[in-house]
Amino acid sequence: MQQLNPSEISEIIKSRIDNLNVSSEAQNEGTIVSVSDGIIRIHGLDDVMYGEMIEFDGGVYGMALNLERDSVGAVVLGDYQSLAEGQKARCTGRVLEVPVGPELEGRVVDALGNPIDGKGPVNAALTDAIEKVAPGVIERQSVDQPVQIGLKAIDAMVPIGRGQRELIIGDRQIGKTAIAVDAIINQKGSGIKCVYVAIGQKAASVAAVVRKLEEHGAMEHTIVVAATASDPAAMQFLAPFAGCSMGEYYRDRGQDALIIYDDLTKQAWAYRQISLLLKRPPGREAYPGDVFYLHSRLLERAARVNPTYVEKFTNGEVKGKTGSLTALPVIETQAGDVSAFVPTNVISITDGQIFLEADMFNAGVRPAMNAGISVSRVGGAAQTKIIKKLSGGIRTALAQYRELAAFSQFASDLDEATKAQLDHGERVTELMKQKQYSPQSIAEMGVMVYAADNGYLQAVEVSKIGDFEAALLSYMKAEHADLMTQINASGDYNDDIAAGFKAALDKFIATQTW
Amino acid sequence: MAELSTLARPYAKAAFEFAETAGDLQGWSKSLAIAGSVAQQSNVVRLLASPSVTADQQAQALIEICGDALNDQGRNFLTVLSENRRLQLLPDISQQFDVLKANREKAVDVEVTAAHELDAEQQQKLIDALSTKLERKVNMQVRLDKSLLGGAVIRAGDTVIDGSIRGRLAKLAESLHS
Repeated sequence: MQQLNPSEISEIIKSRIDNLNVSSEAQNEGTIVSVSDGIIRIHGLDDVMYGEMIEFDGGVYGMALNLERDSVGAVVLGDYQSLAEGQKARCTGRVLEVPVGPELEGRVVDALGNPIDGKGPVNAALTDAIEKVAPGVIERQSVDQPVQIGLKAIDAMVPIGRGQRELIIGDRQIGKTAIAVDAIINQKGSGIKCVYVAIGQKAASVAAVVRKLEEHGAMEHTIVVAATASDPAAMQFLAPFAGCSMGEYYRDRGQDALIIYDDLTKQAWAYRQISLLLKRPPGREAYPGDVFYLHSRLLERAARVNPTYVEKFTNGEVKGKTGSLTALPVIETQAGDVSAFVPTNVISITDGQIFLEADMFNAGVRPAMNAGISVSRVGGAAQTKIIKKLSGGIRTALAQYRELAAFSQFASDLDEATKAQLDHGERVTELMKQKQYSPQSIAEMGVMVYAADNGYLQAVEVSKIGDFEAALLSYMKAEHADLMTQINASGDYNDDIAAGFKAALDKFIATQTW
Repeated sequence: MAELSTLARPYAKAAFEFAETAGDLQGWSKSLAIAGSVAQQSNVVRLLASPSVTADQQAQALIEICGDALNDQGRNFLTVLSENRRLQLLPDISQQFDVLKANREKAVDVEVTAAHELDAEQQQKLIDALSTKLERKVNMQVRLDKSLLGGAVIRAGDTVIDGSIRGRLAKLAESLHS
């Protein structure tokens, strides 16, 4: 038996019949000349705009991408098997739009905003164009509020601010998506809405991410936009723009949002495919000439906007609030080669990168972040005070350790100072390890970093650091809950807190229970 | 198709400008139409595509077939086309020539497909309305198509005004689908 879907209620159908605008306006029409791999060439359509939706027979839509003298090149959004040479194509006068708004939270949609999670229609009140110009210079504000990722290594060494673009880059199977998912999970209760855009991934991987988010209660504040590997290249090319428009909804209304593009390499591939089929000249690595612009215009839309912009956008409804869209684009490298075309492009566009390394991953350091070449160019201003004060030593300790570790492999006996440095570095490296799906609060990070900075780790065997951390955190939670809540609330660091940490740690170390 | 019209454009433009100075738009239009339809015949198409026939032979053959339909300049035009092996463009050239001519004469060919027979008064009304809207002299051709159910579809070049019942039903179907 065929199932009735929720939009088939007589009342709804009646109102739609009633509201249908059937005025017979003049329309521009053309003829399909060729159909190839999702690319359609159309003769005619003199009035078509760049990026305009084109309607084909059978309710299939396309998007005009090449406007030439005698023909129009368009990509088909959906199934192109039903199209054939000689069929008519009509202008619609509309650019591509997707639904936006809070109705999408908790949903999984495709690149056009159609639900694909089987939970019925998305009744979004608003739609918005997917291609928009980023806010201008006047409308922006500098980044000074943090986005807590919940991973010690990132929050301590490459802090991310609201409105920043921080690239996550590394080889396949190295934990890029894991960082992104942890970041989303940690936004629970922070008020930051998340958009996870999956591009060219296996449908199974997308389903796994959605399931993990649901398990950790993070789906309520998250929109998942999925263009899987089996979707047409046009969808994979459009998905990030669609997700960006959904994120901008929050930015423009004085709220904060976090968007993850997982990953932009696949989007560049999809765009390369479309461009080559449209017969645009290939350039380096066969990418078209505007592949840089493809990513720069997308990432430029992740920004922090000032209260004036928000006020103007909402017609005075929201006053005195800045809005932000933080972007975490993901790029996959081949065998650690960051000097390939797309990685260099995106590195230069973003405000810093988190570089994940295969060697570290294999050595058991997870997240496998290379602290030496991972940077955050603007996040320092946004870092929580306590983490900023305490984490200064971590980076240097790791940098010195790496240098010494390479050197000391060949040395038979080392002086005391070097040994101490190696010892400390080893422990800090161990401390930076963190399990997946277990984000830490500011206070938890604070106490761990304090312990490392003040030599408390020297009393602990390297292999026991993980146990020490777990024991210390549960001890702090049980015995010093007030201190922890106070830190989490304010994020400040002062002598009182330092004294509190010292007293707690001295007592804990004395118990030797880890 | 698209590529052919790009190639045909300079030829059509040259022929048009020449015909205009010579004051013989009508004559050229007719000769090009004849040459165009000749070039579409299947055995002529084969002849034009054959690499073993020289450009000269092609031109000669075409000129002979067209016979009196071409004046001297017309024959020269075919020779020029053959030199570049572009004789198969003739149908496109003829079509583009007519578009240029219609533009110059501020005229437009309109095809009206109606569900029912239109009487003279209705046709006149349509012509009047269309010539105001398009700001052109309207040459109207009426076709009958019962499958439209009611109303009419008006086609002027790329512009289509769909006022048929079938079109409205299709729109309704689409809106209920989305």
